[in-house]
Amino acid sequence: MIEGVNEIISTKMNPNVLPHLHIWEWHIPLYLFLGGIAGGLLLITSVMIVMRRHFGIGPKDEGDGCPCGAVRIGAILSPLLLGIGMLFLFLDLAHKLYVWAFYTTIQPTSPMSAGSWILVAFFPLAMLQAMVVNRKYLNALNIELLNKLIKWTDDHLLKVALLNAHIGVGIGIYTGILLSFFSARPLWSSSILGMLFLVSGISSASALMLLLAPKKEKHIYSRIDANAIWIELVIVGLFILGGITGTANTHGAMMHLIVGDHLMAGIPYMYWFWGVFITAGLLLPLLIEFLENAGFHLHLPPIAPVLVLIGGLVLRFLIVFAGQTYHTFM
Amino acid sequence: MNHGTDFSRRDFIKISSLFLAGSAALSTLPSGIVSGLGNNPIEGKGEKIVYSFCEHCFWRCGIAVHVSNGRVTKITGSEYHPLSNGKLCPRGTGGTGLLYDPDRLAHPLIRERKGGKQYYRKASWDEAITAVAGGLYKIHEQYGPSSIAMIHHGFGVSFFKKMFSEIGVNKIAKPSYDLCCGPARQATVLTYGYPSGSPEGFDIKNSKYMIFFGTHFGENMHNTAVQEISEGIRRGAKIVVFDPRFSTLAGKAEHWLPIKPATDIAMMQAMMHVLITENLYDKAFVEEHTVGFDELWKEVKEMTPEKAAVITDISADAIRTVAREFAFHAPAAFVHSGRRTNWYGDALQRNRAILILNALVGNFKMPGGVVEFKTFPIPQPPHAQEHPAYEKEVHSKYPFFSQDSPSNTIASHEIVQQAISGEVKALFIYGVNLTETMTLGRQAALDALQKVDFSVAVDVLPAEVTGYVDVVLPECTYLERYDDLDNLIAFRKPFIALRQPAVPPMFDSRPGSEIAKMITDKWGLHGVFAPTVEAGLDKKLKLVGSSLEEIKKRGVLVMPETDLYRKPGEPLNLNTPSGKVELASAQLKAGGFDAVPKYTPHPEAPAGYYRMLTGRKPMLTFGRTANNRFLGDLATAQENEVWVNTAIAVQHQLTNGDYVHLKNQAGIESDFPVKVKVTQRIRQDAVYMVHGFGHTSKQLKWAYKRGASHNQLISKTDIDQAIGSVGFQNNFVTFVKEA
Amino acid sequence: MSEKKKNFGMIIDTRVCVGCSACVYACKAENGIPEGYCRDWVVQETNGEFPALTMENRSERCQHCDNAPCVTYCPTGASHYDENGTVQINRSICTGCKACMAACPYDARYVHPDGFVDKCSLCKHRIEKGQKTACVSICPTDSLHLVDFDNMTTEDKAMLRGKNVYRQKEHAGTEPRLYWISASNKPGA
Repeated sequence: MIEGVNEIISTKMNPNVLPHLHIWEWHIPLYLFLGGIAGGLLLITSVMIVMRRHFGIGPKDEGDGCPCGAVRIGAILSPLLLGIGMLFLFLDLAHKLYVWAFYTTIQPTSPMSAGSWILVAFFPLAMLQAMVVNRKYLNALNIELLNKLIKWTDDHLLKVALLNAHIGVGIGIYTGILLSFFSARPLWSSSILGMLFLVSGISSASALMLLLAPKKEKHIYSRIDANAIWIELVIVGLFILGGITGTANTHGAMMHLIVGDHLMAGIPYMYWFWGVFITAGLLLPLLIEFLENAGFHLHLPPIAPVLVLIGGLVLRFLIVFAGQTYHTFM
Repeated sequence: MNHGTDFSRRDFIKISSLFLAGSAALSTLPSGIVSGLGNNPIEGKGEKIVYSFCEHCFWRCGIAVHVSNGRVTKITGSEYHPLSNGKLCPRGTGGTGLLYDPDRLAHPLIRERKGGKQYYRKASWDEAITAVAGGLYKIHEQYGPSSIAMIHHGFGVSFFKKMFSEIGVNKIAKPSYDLCCGPARQATVLTYGYPSGSPEGFDIKNSKYMIFFGTHFGENMHNTAVQEISEGIRRGAKIVVFDPRFSTLAGKAEHWLPIKPATDIAMMQAMMHVLITENLYDKAFVEEHTVGFDELWKEVKEMTPEKAAVITDISADAIRTVAREFAFHAPAAFVHSGRRTNWYGDALQRNRAILILNALVGNFKMPGGVVEFKTFPIPQPPHAQEHPAYEKEVHSKYPFFSQDSPSNTIASHEIVQQAISGEVKALFIYGVNLTETMTLGRQAALDALQKVDFSVAVDVLPAEVTGYVDVVLPECTYLERYDDLDNLIAFRKPFIALRQPAVPPMFDSRPGSEIAKMITDKWGLHGVFAPTVEAGLDKKLKLVGSSLEEIKKRGVLVMPETDLYRKPGEPLNLNTPSGKVELASAQLKAGGFDAVPKYTPHPEAPAGYYRMLTGRKPMLTFGRTANNRFLGDLATAQENEVWVNTAIAVQHQLTNGDYVHLKNQAGIESDFPVKVKVTQRIRQDAVYMVHGFGHTSKQLKWAYKRGASHNQLISKTDIDQAIGSVGFQNNFVTFVKEA
Repeated sequence: MSEKKKNFGMIIDTRVCVGCSACVYACKAENGIPEGYCRDWVVQETNGEFPALTMENRSERCQHCDNAPCVTYCPTGASHYDENGTVQINRSICTGCKACMAACPYDARYVHPDGFVDKCSLCKHRIEKGQKTACVSICPTDSLHLVDFDNMTTEDKAMLRGKNVYRQKEHAGTEPRLYWISASNKPGA
């Protein structure tokens, strides 16, 4: 390497490629966030059902095969949020009329192709499960086909829920893998991103359920959330370690994220990462939930779950944006 | 100068966009192709290729114009034309950007004065021609032919030259002589006895060692020269570049020597000193074919490499190395004369020094050295120069001004001065944006335009100058017209090239041939031009045994390659007074000038100021391409930058990408800010900016306000008193940050 | 994917390239590239400190990789290898999801204003007629060479012999098919 400066002049001026990649704006982070929550919700509700049905543990059965009120809501929200997320994904397409092209082919090497098929597979089972746990409302409609479907699902609920739990995990991981396959983007090119987004999705989903759960069920989701945050903190730590101990590309990208002065909504990445995501989105809610679970009743408004949700959202925005603003693999 | 009560004062008129192509273009062309861009049909009906030649610079390469459904889709290099060999520079491709420029002049315009207001009126061609013919006639009657002057640039001028010769007007200038090719041309005339042209007379592709002083091939994309330099590099030729700036060519050089600006002659003298003291020069050639060696030695004896090192800021070792290597590789080695090297008012002598260096190593008419290319001769019918009304053939007061170029009889700055003094009453301006050519700076041009009684501009675009004249005549572009045959370019294979229309003229524009004919017809001088331009061309081509029909197929007639090299023992019989290469010129001495080139120090920058150097971008030819959206559409073509050395940037607290105004030593500040490029690629005592930016005409919608005008910052010019060329590099600038 | 008949790529001689951008304009004209976009571009890279500077000029574009991440990642098969060994985009099934842009280590792609993703096609329409690409045809310095790497001519081989030749970001594993003759080669190498 020659000592001294490096001056580069380029005639290139393609928009959204220079000065750095700028192909994905708010749609994709929101989609990843909602997809993560949807996956988390599906996983948690499925596990709750299995626990209740198979092992007989969990909150008191409210009848209709539903373990608790929060599961009732969570099971509906899961496909709903994913649907909204997919709408954002659709809105991001530059050639929207050609969206059908996703479904005329299976591209085995493309995570996006796999993802678009997983998303399709997700809906039927998730919706059946949502119908079963909300059967008391649906039965009132007295539609024969619905009743038959609910009956069939109820008969196979253990299998359906187990399958759904896996699909939930799959969706959660997929939201991270979607990015981590891009070896050309050094920040994204980390397989732990799948785990990070999965666990973040679970913690966000449990925070959402905590918010919506009846009072007597809240402690369950608070514990799930606290545990998820713990794990998430460990994974974030590994993600950072993997980055800063990596090659020039990976190291630079991680530094760009965690000490970067590039602005997002007027605030440098560094502040977003440590201030909003780590401190406000993970540490603070963990502390609150730990204290609450340890018996110190803080009588706070539901600040912890809101912080977790904000943290989860900010994480997706940060990763998607910082991955693009850092230079291409060199 | 006070114009307050001057009746003839011309207010600058902003040409209404109704008189420009814009709206018409938008409505008649599919979207996206207005500026020459858009989706090309890859296969289309009605496709044809028209072979012609380019007008985006004086090199005039052969082009293949691809036309589909009456629209020019692309322009590629003609495989038949010796200058292009199927290749083309960006500007050649960019012809579509001119053709479909929405800012093109669409109608003839006549200045009207009503109630203290001045404006342009859209006129019919007949009205406009009547006004021009009448205006010129009146002045001709009243003040005689030498009160009319034409300033021109571009190949299409021949018809106007002929038009004027019919009434004895022979005061004709091309600013490019003053600014660019004059010194190289006249130095060759005085030293070797023939004028150099373009391509310059160097056997580049066969050379093993090429030395360039300040010229930046690659950034000035002279197609054939760049092709041959590339071929030379592939064959292993070494390149040496003396340039205060690390140019693209310097990037290819074995030695880049960042010489202190304005000291080239000292360097050349030192190289001569080494060649002579170390007995490296070609004694046989010098003895047999040159005169004035002793005088030369007397002059360079004192210029040791050590002395030159102090002057030029290049080490004595480096000077010796280059001189020795030059001699080692000679005769397949040369010092290139470059182009646009009129910098300090001593360009003639600087060019002579280059020619002398070449002569010393005996590379004259040797493979890889200096050569004389030949043109394709067309027998000329008796010429209009015999017109009784001619007062004289050459109007310039400079004794060694070009004497043999009918399209250039006076320096353009002399015309500008004569217009200001009242000697010239009418200005006919063809394709020259007078306020932005470097001839005497912007203000002098404006004064001249104000002062004359009558003025006409023939142009394609609403360049600044078109706002200051009485009549504007919109010429169609070179892609829409025939011009005269081009047999003016001398090269390895002499050729005649044809310019022919690829598409008919757009809007209400007309070819120059037609405009000139309309004017002479209006004067009652019928039969000056052939009934049609085609008939005229065909008649000429018949003289060389061809026809218009034949040449239209390939756009060119090519002779076999000429023998460029001298034979041993062959006398040179040069057209100099001595018949030999004139190392010392008795002519110059008799005229009161130095017989051999002398080094004289030039002014230094005041503290905090930097010498303003200028040059080109490869995709632009100054004014010709300034408003070309197609060519402007690249990150590097959008604006000019001022190159500032890193250390100087620190001193002035400038960071890369800042925008600053530039202020020159006379206090003139650039109209528009310019982007700072902080770089290692330039010396600390100079800054560099590309010429041809910072346009003030709002009608040039693309070019307006892009970058800073180099021309605006020229307030000191140095005129070479021997040949009348203009140097403009004794101007210095500093930075004014935006408030 | 069609059966591979040819294996086209380029050899680019940066020793002679002056960065004039003729290739860029020729491409824009040939392929009707919209204003503000380009399929190829020119880079001038200077290293060192005054006066010890080195420079390389190069005309860059899609590398038509043998192991192209854009093709790997494309969810619809719009990005694909064609029978000439080049990477092409089928506009009629491109959703504009931009995954290929994120996947490309060379940033060779852009979203066309009409919605599909676009990039250098190595002038597929010309190659199929036996012509060279627009950029190769125009290049005044003969820096650009279209090469069928499965059927290299003696000139093609001679061009590379004994010279410092590299590929860009080879360690990205994409098997790029643009070969660069380095500007650092000595004259006549």
